[in-house]
Amino acid sequence: MAKILGIDLGTTNSAIAIVEGGEPKILENHEGNRTTPSVVAMSKTNERLAGLLAKRQSVVNPKNTIFSVKRLIGRKFSDEEVQRDKAWLPYEIKESASGGVEVKMGDRWYKPEEISAMVLAKLKADAEAKTGEKIEEAVITVPAYFDDSQRQATKNAGEIAGLKVRRIINEPTAAALAYGLNRQKNEKIIVYDFGGGTFDISILEVGDDVVEVKGTGGDTHLGGDDFDKKIIQYLVEEYKKTEGIDISKDPLALQRLKEAAERAKHELSTAFDTEINLPYITSDASGPKHFILKMTRAKLEELVADDIKHSIDLTKKALDEVGLKPADINEVVLVGGQTRMPAIVDAVKKFFGKDPHKGINPDEVVAAGAAVQAGIFQGDVKDILLLDVTPLSLGLETFGGVFTPLIEKNTTVPTSKSQIFSTAADNQTSVEIHILQGERSMAADNKTLGRFILDGIPPASRGIPQVEVIFDIDANGILSVSAKDKASGKTQSVRIEASTQLSKEEIEKLKNEATAHAEEDKKKKDLAEAKNIAEQTLYLAEKTLREMGDKVSAEIKDNVNKKIEELKSVKDGQDVEAVKSKTSELSLELQKIGQSMYNKNEGQEGGQKDNQEPQQNP
Amino acid sequence: MIEDVSKNSNNEELSKCQKERDEYLDGWKRAKAELINYKKDENKRFETMMKFSNEALIRDLINVLDSFDLALAALERDGKAEKGLYLIRSQMEDILKASGLERIMISVGEPFDPSLQEAIASVESDKPSNIIVEEVERGYMLYGKLLRPARVKVAK
Repeated sequence: MAKILGIDLGTTNSAIAIVEGGEPKILENHEGNRTTPSVVAMSKTNERLAGLLAKRQSVVNPKNTIFSVKRLIGRKFSDEEVQRDKAWLPYEIKESASGGVEVKMGDRWYKPEEISAMVLAKLKADAEAKTGEKIEEAVITVPAYFDDSQRQATKNAGEIAGLKVRRIINEPTAAALAYGLNRQKNEKIIVYDFGGGTFDISILEVGDDVVEVKGTGGDTHLGGDDFDKKIIQYLVEEYKKTEGIDISKDPLALQRLKEAAERAKHELSTAFDTEINLPYITSDASGPKHFILKMTRAKLEELVADDIKHSIDLTKKALDEVGLKPADINEVVLVGGQTRMPAIVDAVKKFFGKDPHKGINPDEVVAAGAAVQAGIFQGDVKDILLLDVTPLSLGLETFGGVFTPLIEKNTTVPTSKSQIFSTAADNQTSVEIHILQGERSMAADNKTLGRFILDGIPPASRGIPQVEVIFDIDANGILSVSAKDKASGKTQSVRIEASTQLSKEEIEKLKNEATAHAEEDKKKKDLAEAKNIAEQTLYLAEKTLREMGDKVSAEIKDNVNKKIEELKSVKDGQDVEAVKSKTSELSLELQKIGQSMYNKNEGQEGGQKDNQEPQQNP
Repeated sequence: MIEDVSKNSNNEELSKCQKERDEYLDGWKRAKAELINYKKDENKRFETMMKFSNEALIRDLINVLDSFDLALAALERDGKAEKGLYLIRSQMEDILKASGLERIMISVGEPFDPSLQEAIASVESDKPSNIIVEEVERGYMLYGKLLRPARVKVAK
């Protein structure tokens, strides 16, 4: 079935997302970017452009490049806002016959919704190209303060673009949805949205599956772009001071400076200082001039301190208007690229006394939330098969009481895993399969699900037999464990019905225990492993002495025997280091046996060096 | 009578089972197909990831190429441009070319094309409107994806 597109139709930039596998996913546009400028233009060659292409030609075609049309959509021409924006917007704006707004692009007048429809049509086409599916429906977001007329106009824009608008939702609500906050009951949420060109504050209250907007506030002419302008202004002034040249007059220099300012702003979100280095920025009579300046985070914060303070004042005002105090707010959500700035995060945190949500990319969180809403609509159709995961690891006990997991926790079921095991002693003819569940390192600390014995294994040295153990969980969570001896083909199996029927509390308890005991468990496991190696080395040493004892000197034999005794005495203790050191001492002595036999052979057989193996020669 | 009823219910059960079988088989096939398709997509994604993994670095290095261009232009004016400098510049561009970087070739006199160029100023000129008057910064593509448009001045 066709996907419903989630659209964040922004003032300066827009973003689109769909739900895939239950998770919102931002779609890249045709140009390969995750956001698209909300700009439309009629080029000088009478071509209609939308997005980045329109933006690229805006400098040379300002009268026919329409941006920020969201400031005009659904408004009356006589609105104070429209009159204010009309003064600075470079394109022509007039009153329509019905008292609304019209803008001129090329030789025609358009309603703002027609312009927005062109942006939406591009987003729709890009989404179709990306998903390879036809997109017919959408969820579009608008600011919480939009009135009915603005909402209706936005909806109309969607319809003009060929989209059935399933719902218009508020941007802050979308952000809260993206964080899953709609599931919280009776909570008050504040959404602090510092975008490129606008600053919006929204206070939401979550009731029974309903998100209600309690209040709004903000400044429609405050945004990250103002920060950029302040940085550029500072850089231009500094340069004038040191070099006496005004580089703001040179379009290329200004362009390079703009990019450098933006880059510096981004870098200062993670670093404390950055260097702006623009060689050959300009030239004068004395020759070429360079631009080099170190900018600190403190300097940036100083430049924009007033703006940040202003945003907090506006937040306070919005709260006052609905009679709330900062302490009444349960959740704080940050939206908009500028909220990556640590000074903003700190200011918000200080004001509310709690950490804001900021895990999701703040440029994309609104589109992601719109997609979540679209997913809820899609969910009406039973299309998704829900698959469970195993809450805890499943495995078996291996030599030394160690728990060896076969199926790790959080594996999606149905699934099947197999592993080959062997025997721990010579001529062992049966193995016990002890099935366990849990996260602890030692078998004894985990929950036993069942055990069975596979016998009839043909006698052989330890480590030779191959026993394949298969763990299989079906879609109902039923675990089947089987063991098969590869030599005899003998098989044993068991079905465990209750493996995943632990209560939520039990699972949590087991997981917590695992974390609490992680350190101690690691020690136990290390000890068990050291003991395993010790056992193996002892086995090898005794076997070697038995088979080759008569071929080496009594001195070497005595030394090996001595080391064997020493290792045996510490092997069953708790001192890992002692076990490890005695094991390596024994292996060193053992090597002497090989060496002495090699020397002996060399003495006996003189020249035939090439054929000699150091370890043995019957 | 009794037999008939049981026959009917058997038939019903059978057709119900058949319906369920078809549904489950379909679901299973879809799940398998989805996995295979996912693997294919994943491979494609991985290939593009490999191709574009250097994108951010190359994007930054373009600034160094720009600085070279500006430096060479300044030195040329004074007649001090040394051949070695040109060689260092092309050495660097060659390395980036091997990683998929490609310069966008444009010439003065062509009409302005916003899909490959960005206009940074419009200037008075004897050329007709919308014609490129000057390329002020070179544009680059990475494996056919526009990394940075060429910056141009356009006739008014």
